[in-house]
Formats: sequence, structure tokens, C-alpha cells
Amino acid sequence: MSESTDPVPPPSLDPELERDAPIAEARGVSQVYPGVTALDDVDFSVRAGEVRALLGQNGAGKSTLIRLLSGVETPSGGEVLLGGVPLGSGGVAAAAAAGVATCYQELSLVPGVTVAENLALGRWPRGRFGIDGRAMVERARATFERLGADIDVHAEVAGLTLAQQQIVEIGRALQDDPRLLILDEPTSALAAAEVDLVLDTVKRLAAQGVAVLYVSHRMDEIRQIADTATVMRNGKIVETVSIAGSDTAHIIELMIGADPEERGVATRPVTSGEVLLSVTDLDVGPKLRGVSFEGRAGEVLGIAGLLGSGRTELLQAIAGFRPLTAGTLAIAGSVVERPTASRMLSLGVGMTPEDRKGRGVIPGLGIDENIVMSDFGRVTRGGALSSGAIGTATRALAERLSIKAHDLSRPISTLSGGNQQKAVIARWLHADSRVLLLDEPTRGVDVEAKAQIYEIMRAVADTGKLVVFVSSEIEELPLACDRVLVLRDGGLREEFRAPDISLPVLLQASMVSS
Amino acid sequence: MTTTLDTTTTPTGGPGGAPRGSVVGRVRDAFRRNTTLVNIVGLLVAIVLLYLYLMFNAVGFFTVANQSGLLRDAALIGVAATGMTLVIIAGEIDVSTGPAVALSSVIVAVAMTQWGLPALVAILITLVVGAGWGALAGLLRARFLVPSFIATLGLWSVLRGLGQFSTDALPVPLPLDEPIMPFLAGSVLGIPTPAVVMIVAFLVFAYVARKTAFGRSVFAVGGNAAAARLAGIKVKRVRVVLFAITGLLGALSGVLLAARLGSGNAGAANGLEFDVIAAVVIGGTAMSGGRGSLIGTFLGVIFITLIGNGLVLLGVDSFLQSVVRGVIIVLAVLLNVTLSRKRGSMEES
Repeated sequence: MSESTDPVPPPSLDPELERDAPIAEARGVSQVYPGVTALDDVDFSVRAGEVRALLGQNGAGKSTLIRLLSGVETPSGGEVLLGGVPLGSGGVAAAAAAGVATCYQELSLVPGVTVAENLALGRWPRGRFGIDGRAMVERARATFERLGADIDVHAEVAGLTLAQQQIVEIGRALQDDPRLLILDEPTSALAAAEVDLVLDTVKRLAAQGVAVLYVSHRMDEIRQIADTATVMRNGKIVETVSIAGSDTAHIIELMIGADPEERGVATRPVTSGEVLLSVTDLDVGPKLRGVSFEGRAGEVLGIAGLLGSGRTELLQAIAGFRPLTAGTLAIAGSVVERPTASRMLSLGVGMTPEDRKGRGVIPGLGIDENIVMSDFGRVTRGGALSSGAIGTATRALAERLSIKAHDLSRPISTLSGGNQQKAVIARWLHADSRVLLLDEPTRGVDVEAKAQIYEIMRAVADTGKLVVFVSSEIEELPLACDRVLVLRDGGLREEFRAPDISLPVLLQASMVSS
Repeated sequence: MTTTLDTTTTPTGGPGGAPRGSVVGRVRDAFRRNTTLVNIVGLLVAIVLLYLYLMFNAVGFFTVANQSGLLRDAALIGVAATGMTLVIIAGEIDVSTGPAVALSSVIVAVAMTQWGLPALVAILITLVVGAGWGALAGLLRARFLVPSFIATLGLWSVLRGLGQFSTDALPVPLPLDEPIMPFLAGSVLGIPTPAVVMIVAFLVFAYVARKTAFGRSVFAVGGNAAAARLAGIKVKRVRVVLFAITGLLGALSGVLLAARLGSGNAGAANGLEFDVIAAVVIGGTAMSGGRGSLIGTFLGVIFITLIGNGLVLLGVDSFLQSVVRGVIIVLAVLLNVTLSRKRGSMEES
């Protein structure tokens, strides 16, 4: 068993030898969580100077593999070796000492202090009189010189663009002089134009002999920087392929595998209903340009796109929570001049947020109250809220959406995730919204609840409403949608109609520029 | 059925749960389901014990004069505490109460004595002005995102300064030949008028908190402001109205205080905001927002007032009184937090 005090192999061995020896290796690792096998007997290795793409759908095991390599978790079976030395249960500190640095999706910078200080956090250079500011600045300058990035080390992080912040994050990871750098979807938060800055940085690092494990689904990026791609599925590594020698269709096939028949709901193209939502030439911030589409009464409209493709931004803009940079919105044929949140609400647009826990539910309040809060007016009798009216309204909705709760006045936090989500959807049925925007309604809910949510969407659409369904699990969209729009490269790129919606075509459309 | 569902929908689940239907079981069940009930019963017990102790040990406690004085003291804290309860439930704080009460007492006195206005007009003006500066603080919070502690701290300083500057820190006497202010200082059916006002205020706000869209929006905003906003609740408006309410109630307390003292005093109600906030928190309202009750606050007000009165009657040194009061308040809150945390963990288990 290795301890965190184990000596790190000196980096200056014979360069030839070093190039061949794996920097990080997983031998037969498994990771079992209660009820789930996240990783199943996986062998994986990466060498110096290699840029390896890691691909796979949600739940394929990518994140678990990363967590094992970076010491966040210890495998339940098999072992992780860093520089040929077993990591054991040494944890993050031991992994870092052995040369593994990880940048997670969420930036972990302190916005109010300078770039130089962010790089030095926790390892401030000491001078004779406390922290040596000059050494701190010098060290930061040297880091960005190495990365070939032009970043003002005196600038406050809050004032940088997201891409620059991502570079600072990478720069901070480099402070420990890592031999393996793991980047988890580093470009997902970036607008298309900013991505090159990050890609150039990665290329430069690889040229210096750092191994890079790059998690992303943007095939264009992967083709620019990666030599090989490891594809995962259901907790296993399917294959590691050379990027140059495989076309995207093959990689997608590896990701999907033999498609098990999943239970979906009846979908059909909708051409006759009233146009409830019409979006024309919409620009939203730096993310989306020239988005135009229509949605009809009776339709379940899916929106596909990779992480960071602007799905959430689009929904928020339609619901009035994000200003439009350009373009127009029309509800049921009439253009909305100044789309504010309360305006869109009164026009019958309701949105359920993707972050159910943080922005969806009010945990301490009752299930019933969480439902009726979208429109207290409907349960007010003579100026006061009527518990009778609240009970009648919420019992009907709970039955309609099969929310499993014996007592609707109990706090909503006592429900399971799936039932909480149904209650949040019920909120907009209570307000009788005509356009329901559901952002990741199936995230973190069990399989049965997922199927129920598809059915609810179908049933709601059948009552003459428009349901817009956003999911990062692309395989869900063919199961529930009458039509799917694909967001890519800052805009709406393709459209598929039932019955011609399938996982391979949606994945291909999301991942590759045509 | 998921496991989460199983544990939470079985009312008398958990180890040692008495059988469903028995009286003990039902009582235990009610306590488990309702933190507020735990607080209220606990406070009631504490108040009864305190009351009995003072009755037998403090000379002059159980006299008509002292009981009436108790109610007047309670009213000074209680009227403001009603609005403060909503403010704290919404996850905010208002520390400007003391100076707001003091300046209001000055305004109503000046309006009557120096401007020669009839009492009702003077009172109305005072209430409007109070609601106005409250709304201003609310606007700073809601619109310009100044933390409410800072916004009302600024208000605290401005109001105290304004009062002392405009009166040279001297009392402004009320006119003598006027019926309304003496009525406010007097009694209705033997109960001091301010206490009647306080009871009405508690009834009104208990109704508002439980039975109106505004009241429920306050709970929603305090429980999760982001979710409330996405659910279509007008969060900014709720916040502005809340501070306008505390401003208005401060002004009302100021009018009652002026009536009681017979003058407006810029230096009065010193430190009142601390008693008000302490009463609310002792009553089980969470400083983090989203949870609380008016009945709890009412008992908190009685508790604090009893302690203040008792310490005086027991002849505790006046400097030491502050120490004892401080310790008792912190202990009460500590007990409260412990009780509700225990309940919370049961729910999650």
C-alpha cells in the first residue's frame, strides 16, 4: 500500500523509456455503489505526451474512472497505478503527489482576487515578511508562458472571460507539475469562438510531455487534439480507437452498442395544432445565434445538444428569465414586445429548472403549497387562501401525475426525486400554462419515474399544450418526442420528426459539424 | 415504491413509535410532524414556570399595576415583532426598529404640537412616513441588492441621528387638551390599549402569514428565493412590502410610546431591535428563513418581557440584568435549535 509520503519517481528518467511506461494505469478496477456497478473490471492506461479522449453516454462510467484516477475514490476492486506505483487508498493528496491534476467542469477559482493569487492559493510563496508577492507574480507569469497564454496575472479573475478563467484553472492545475492532466468537459461552458484558446493550450502541454485525458463529446475538438479515444458504455471500456482511423459513425456505434428496446410512448408528427410558440432569429448572450422554430399545441418537442450547447439558455430566454440579445418571441400568434418573466408567465409559459433541488422546490413547504404557488389566485376564496380549494386542486393533480404521497401537506423534501419532479411539473399544470418548458425533468430520477414523466408529457400535450423537453440523455428523446431540434455550434442545426428520430442520428447531429 | 417514500408516509414509523391510533402515539406523531408545536409547547411550559416562580418570589409581581405594566412592555416589543417575524421568515433582517420607534414618537409629537395638526392626521402622517422609510430600505435590498442588514443598519443610524438633530435630544411634549393620545395610553375594558393593538396585530399577521398569497410567498422566498422566482412569485415586490410593513409597525409603536410617555423622545427605545429579534428567534423562527410562526413570536415576546420584569423585581443589579438576560436568551435559542434539529434528523432517517 502506498502512502502519501511515497517518493514520486523522478521525472528525469531516460526520456525514451518514460514515453513508453504508462503514467497512469487502472488494472481490473471495479467500483460498486449501493445498487449500481459504476465500473466493471476496467483496464485503462495513458502515456506521457498522449492526448486521450474519453467518450461515453451519461452513466457510462467516465466520471467514476476520473474519480478513481485522481484519488477522490478508492476502487472496490482492482488497483490504480500512478507512475507504476499503486495508489492504494492514498486519496487526492497521494494522487496529486504522483502527478495527477484534475480540472472539473465547475470552475473552482476565487473570483475576487487576482490571477496570480489564485494560482498560489494554499501554497503562497513565503518571503521574509509574510507572503512574497513578487515571487507569486513571477511564478504565475512563468506558468502562462509555459502555456503560451496571454493572461494578465494582476487581473481579477471575475473580470476574465470564461475561456480565460478555464486557462487559469488549467494553470493552477499545473502548479504541481502534473504528469497527467484530466480535463472534464473543459469547453462546455464556452462559446464556440473561445474554444480554440483552450485547445491550443492542451496541444502545447501535450508537446511538453504531459498526458492529457480529455472528456468531451465535441467530435470536432476531439479530432483537433486527441490521438486516441477510449469509448465507455455501461461501466466498461468498449474499445480504445485511433482517432485518425475511425469515422464518427463508428465511434457513435461503440457508444450506443446494441440498443436495448426501451419502453417509450406513442409519438407522431404534429402538423395541425395551433402554433403556440414561435421563436424568430433569437440571439441569447454569446451562446446562441439566429435560433428560429415553432411549437404546436399537442406536441412534445425535444431539444438535443451537448453540455454547453445552450439548451438551458434557450429555455430561460423563452421563459423571460434571460434577456434576448436579438430576435422575437410570439405566444399563440402574438409577438411579446418585452418578454419579462412575469409577462411570459401571464401568457402561459411555465418552466421547470434543471436544478430541481436548488431552484425547483422549496424544501420546507408542503407538497400542496409547492404546487399552488405558481398561481395563488386559483385557490383564493374571498381574499384568503382556502385550504379546501388547495386540497381539491392538488389532490386532482397528484392523482393525474401519480405523485405518491399519502399526505400532500407534508414537506416536499420527504418525496423521492421523481415525485418531487412531478410536483414541480404539477405547478405549471395548476397555473394552466399552455407552453411547458421542462429542463432535464428526468435527471436523477429512477427508471420507473422516467417512464411516468414521458407519459405525463404525452398526456399534457394531448390536452392541447406544447411540451418542450430538454434532456442531456439523448437516448430519452426518441422515446418521448414528436420532433427533436438539435443545438450545436451556437445555433439550431437540425430537425428530426417522428418516426425518424433515433439515437444514432441525434448523437451524430449533436457531436459533429456537418 | 421507493424507500424514501416508505419512511416518510408512515406517520408513526421509526424505532419506538407508539402504535398508531393510541393517544400517546397521536401526540408523539403530532410533535414529530410539527416543529412549531414543539417550540410552542416548550415555550408555554417555560412561561408558566417563570410566571409561577415570579408569583411566589418577586414582591409586587402579581399586582394589577405590574401586570398592566407587563402588557405595556410586551406591546412595545410585540407590535414590531409581528412584522419582524415575516421579515426573518423571508430570510432578511431589520435592525432599525429602535430608532424608527423613537423618531416616530418625535414626528407624531411635532406634528401635533408644532404644526398644530389633529391627532388622527398626525398619526396617519407618522405611519405613512414610517412605511416610506421601510420601503426605501426594502428597495435597497430588493432592487440594488444591498444586504438587508446593511441597508437597515444605515437606516438605524440615519433615523437616530435625525431624531436627535431635530429635537436637540430633548423630549417634545404632546398637547394636553387632546383626547386620542390619552386613549392610546389608557385601557380598554381593563386591558392597556397598546396590548390590545398588539393582540390585533398578532391576529392580523397570523392570518396574513397562513392564509394569504403574500404570506405564503414570504415563506417561499425565505425557503428558496431562486425557486420562488422561477415559480412566478414576485420576489422583489415581496421584499419591498415586507420592509414597508416593519417601517409602518415601527411608526405605530412610536405613536403608542409617545402616548405612554406624553412626549416624543429621540433617545427612546434604545436597543429595542435586539429584544424584538430575540423574541422572534426564541419563538422558533429560523434566521436562515423559510420557517417560523406568529404564535411562537407571541410567546417569545411574553417570555422576554417576563424575564425583563422579573429581573427588575428580584432586585438584580441593573448592569448584571443585561448579562442574565443575554445568557437566558442564548440558552432559549440553543434549546430551540436543538429541538428542531432532532426533529429534522428523524425526518431524514
